[in-house]
Amino acid sequence: MFFNKIHIRIRCVYLFVIILLIAVIFKVFYIQVFSYDKLKKLSDSLYSRKLPIAADRGEILDRNGEVLATNITTTSLVLIPRQIVDKEQVAQDLADILGVTYEEMYRHVSKRESIERVHPEGRRLDYETAEKIENLGYDGVYLVKESKRYYPYGDLLSHVLGYVGIDNQGLSGIELQYDEYLTGEDGSIKYFSDGQGSRLKMSEVYEAATSGVSIQLTIDIELQKAIESELDNVISKYQADNALIVVQDPQSGEILAMASRPAFDSNDYQNFSTEVINRNLPIWKTYEPGSTFKIITLAASLEEKTIDLFNDTFSDSGAVNVDGATLHCWKHGGHGAQTYLQVVENSCNPGFVNMGLKLGTNTLMKYIRNFGFGEKTGIDLNGEASGILFKEEKMGNVETATTAFGQGISVTPIQQITAVSAAVNGGNLYIPYIVKSLIDTETETVLDVTEKKLRRKVISKDTSDLVRYTLESVVANGTGKNAYIENYRVGGKTGTAQKVENGHYSTSSYILSFIGFMPADNPQIVVYVAVDSPHNVTQYGGTVSAPIAKNVMKSAIDILEIKPSKEGMPKEYTWLDEKYVLLPDVKGMALEEAKKVLKGFNVIYSGNGDKIAYQSPEAGMYIKESGNVVLMLN
Amino acid sequence: MKKDGKYLFAIIVIIALFGSVMIYSASSIWAQYKFNDGFHYAKLQLFFLIVSIIAMMIVSKIDYQIYKKYANLILLGCFILLVLVLIPGIGMVRNGSRSWFAIGPVGMQPSEFAKVGLIIFLAKYLAKNQKTLNDIKKSIFPVLGVIMIFFGLIMLEPDFGSAMVIVLTLMVIIFSSGVKLSFFASLGVLGLIGVAVLIVIAPYRLKRIVSFLNPWTDPLGSGYQIIQSLYAIGPGGLFGLGFGNSIQKQFYLPEPQTDFIFSIISEEFGFMGVLMVTFAFGFMYYQIIKISLKQTDLFAKYLSFGLGTQIILQALLNLCVVVGLIPVTGVTLPFISYGGSSLLVSMASIGIILNISRKNSS
Repeated sequence: MFFNKIHIRIRCVYLFVIILLIAVIFKVFYIQVFSYDKLKKLSDSLYSRKLPIAADRGEILDRNGEVLATNITTTSLVLIPRQIVDKEQVAQDLADILGVTYEEMYRHVSKRESIERVHPEGRRLDYETAEKIENLGYDGVYLVKESKRYYPYGDLLSHVLGYVGIDNQGLSGIELQYDEYLTGEDGSIKYFSDGQGSRLKMSEVYEAATSGVSIQLTIDIELQKAIESELDNVISKYQADNALIVVQDPQSGEILAMASRPAFDSNDYQNFSTEVINRNLPIWKTYEPGSTFKIITLAASLEEKTIDLFNDTFSDSGAVNVDGATLHCWKHGGHGAQTYLQVVENSCNPGFVNMGLKLGTNTLMKYIRNFGFGEKTGIDLNGEASGILFKEEKMGNVETATTAFGQGISVTPIQQITAVSAAVNGGNLYIPYIVKSLIDTETETVLDVTEKKLRRKVISKDTSDLVRYTLESVVANGTGKNAYIENYRVGGKTGTAQKVENGHYSTSSYILSFIGFMPADNPQIVVYVAVDSPHNVTQYGGTVSAPIAKNVMKSAIDILEIKPSKEGMPKEYTWLDEKYVLLPDVKGMALEEAKKVLKGFNVIYSGNGDKIAYQSPEAGMYIKESGNVVLMLN
Repeated sequence: MKKDGKYLFAIIVIIALFGSVMIYSASSIWAQYKFNDGFHYAKLQLFFLIVSIIAMMIVSKIDYQIYKKYANLILLGCFILLVLVLIPGIGMVRNGSRSWFAIGPVGMQPSEFAKVGLIIFLAKYLAKNQKTLNDIKKSIFPVLGVIMIFFGLIMLEPDFGSAMVIVLTLMVIIFSSGVKLSFFASLGVLGLIGVAVLIVIAPYRLKRIVSFLNPWTDPLGSGYQIIQSLYAIGPGGLFGLGFGNSIQKQFYLPEPQTDFIFSIISEEFGFMGVLMVTFAFGFMYYQIIKISLKQTDLFAKYLSFGLGTQIILQALLNLCVVVGLIPVTGVTLPFISYGGSSLLVSMASIGIILNISRKNSS
């Protein structure tokens, strides 16, 4: 037929049109099914305006759940200018409530911002003001929650806790170290708005903020209070440059209390120097440990059996010559013949030189390293120092000898206390730690518990028993007696270290320390006290630091409920408060000679001359250690 | 048969009524914002709709042979109007193209009339020269020349969308007349070369053309409209957000009552809405094809086929743009998008087809 060709072509066109229509349908199907998620998400974010809801930072708690760092919740005013319809009315009402001028408030409500805050009048509103604004009920005028970090104990534990910046970000201490845990996830209130930013009549979507994880510390706040008050006392009493106290559980490495002076208030950190804030002395400070370090030499010697505490004797003449260098004992004239137990009790330097040399450089250094010196302990705080040891290949006998009694090396307090904990707990060196567990703030379920971590076994249990016995004896009979507590078994060791200033030993500044533990048969706590350069006091560790440690331990007895014991060593001269000593004979001596012999007594002179004619009381009498001795001169 | 005409009339009225309702839904927010009257566009469109339906019924009574008689005169009239509209002061500018006259409160787009004028002219020309059509040089080249002149005039406005629809429609009519396929093949090759040359001259064009494939490469520029359209279609789902609930019309999609009204339909009525609209257009075209195939008068056959094809091609171009199958061309959806002269001309076209179906039912 004539139209055949035309009709075929028309049908082709028709078919083609139908195919295209079907293609359109398929494309729509594809968009709605396969691109749905992407488009839904994109368009949602296009339509929605989010009002942030600040998440609470996790709390920091002590071991018993006492809150050390928390948040104060406040509300702040947030404006979404595009949603505000009657700008004049809203500006007037808000200006009245907040006490801002109408003109200023009008600027805020008509600003071309998606979210506008009124600073500072609209922030941290009190409840009454917030309620008034809430009652206005205007679109585009909202109240959002804000939270501010608060440390209820002020400057207590400040170095450990650290502080947060303006945006609640951790800047030091636990706040910094555990920032990612403490920081929560901000939530939001989602409003839907049209292309011009006006609010659409669609339901809001509320996304709750997730609080950060709370952190429970090993710290006992009561014990912390005790050491903080001791520190305050020592600073006000002796005007010391600085001072620190650490209390550790030797059976696990947990830090029970830790503080130092100078300190700062975490709530108010802006008013303190960064030097004060950043230096957490118990882990940052390095110095010559002095005699407290002798515990390590003792432990090594006992483990290696190079000495017999009770049967070997050492005679101290007051000085010892090592390779041409003369090393003095702290006591002028020396301690004479002693067992090694007495060497420790007397903290006799030549005795320890002898112990060090018997061990030999390599063995002594092996123990020192095993006890964790020369490297960081790995405590979960930032800013830890590692201290300095002699290089073994460069060590001669002199270096070995001084190291044996705690000179020529530098250590941190945390190394000291951790090493001594190992020496008295049966020989286990633990990694010290301060975070006990991570707790979900909302459900209060425990997310993670820190297990004690054994670093290595450093000495045998038998050796550790002997070390404890010896150190208990030091407190009962020796230089540590100022730490003695009736009916409790206390062990410890004093330390008096000359400070190194400009490369030389200072003649006037000392770091006075004491490390003690109790109960001596099964230690629950180890206390380390160090006071740097106290004034107006005899600079001996036994006189300044031991009493502080004693006070701390007495507090710990109540706080930790440590049981008394009747099996402890009786303190020498326990029937009197002060030690009585035999008065030596100085009759006929030159004045200068007599002064040296009578060191420690309160000598009163009568008459003139430089020879002693007569003494009162007579020689051979027991008098108080610091009692009066009258000398007649001629 | 009279029955064909009834179905066609019915589907057109349904589509156009649905269009007016959708114009109200799509435009009310903008209208409230711009004119403080949410019904601004809806009222105007309703007026156009009534006028257009009356026009369609009048045209359906006019013997189509009259167009054959005055075909050249009509074309000349269109030509003059297209030239006049280019003159500043006479022609008005809308959306960057000088494309319309203001007659009182309503606008008139001469390119809309040129669409019909050219189809009448081509139908007459093909019917007259049917025997010599395979002599390409002698029969097709002259008519191609006429088409190019009109194409050029409309491109001067510039109104790329209308020019595209016209050229495509006329080519499809020529195709239907039985001109040998090799002609279209060489025309296609020629077109490809032309496009290649244009791209070599200005490489940014390629970027713009392919940007529709991934509109997110330029989300605030050439990709903006298509992204907003996808945001409307995507979340619609099977049944959509419900009538009146579109979010995209709330100042996200610019002028949602015009070119992109289909995405609002898709957002509010979902996949079912899309199916209904495409089915309606398919059904409309099927009715027109049926009428065309029945014609024994060659002029009537070409004219009805051409007018129907013009409407369906414009609809397809619009739908393909909206769903992201082809780059944005700026074509409205016949009977549904807002616009007076477009509706009037489309309705008049249907009127002509109805007249053809009544006169020549065999």
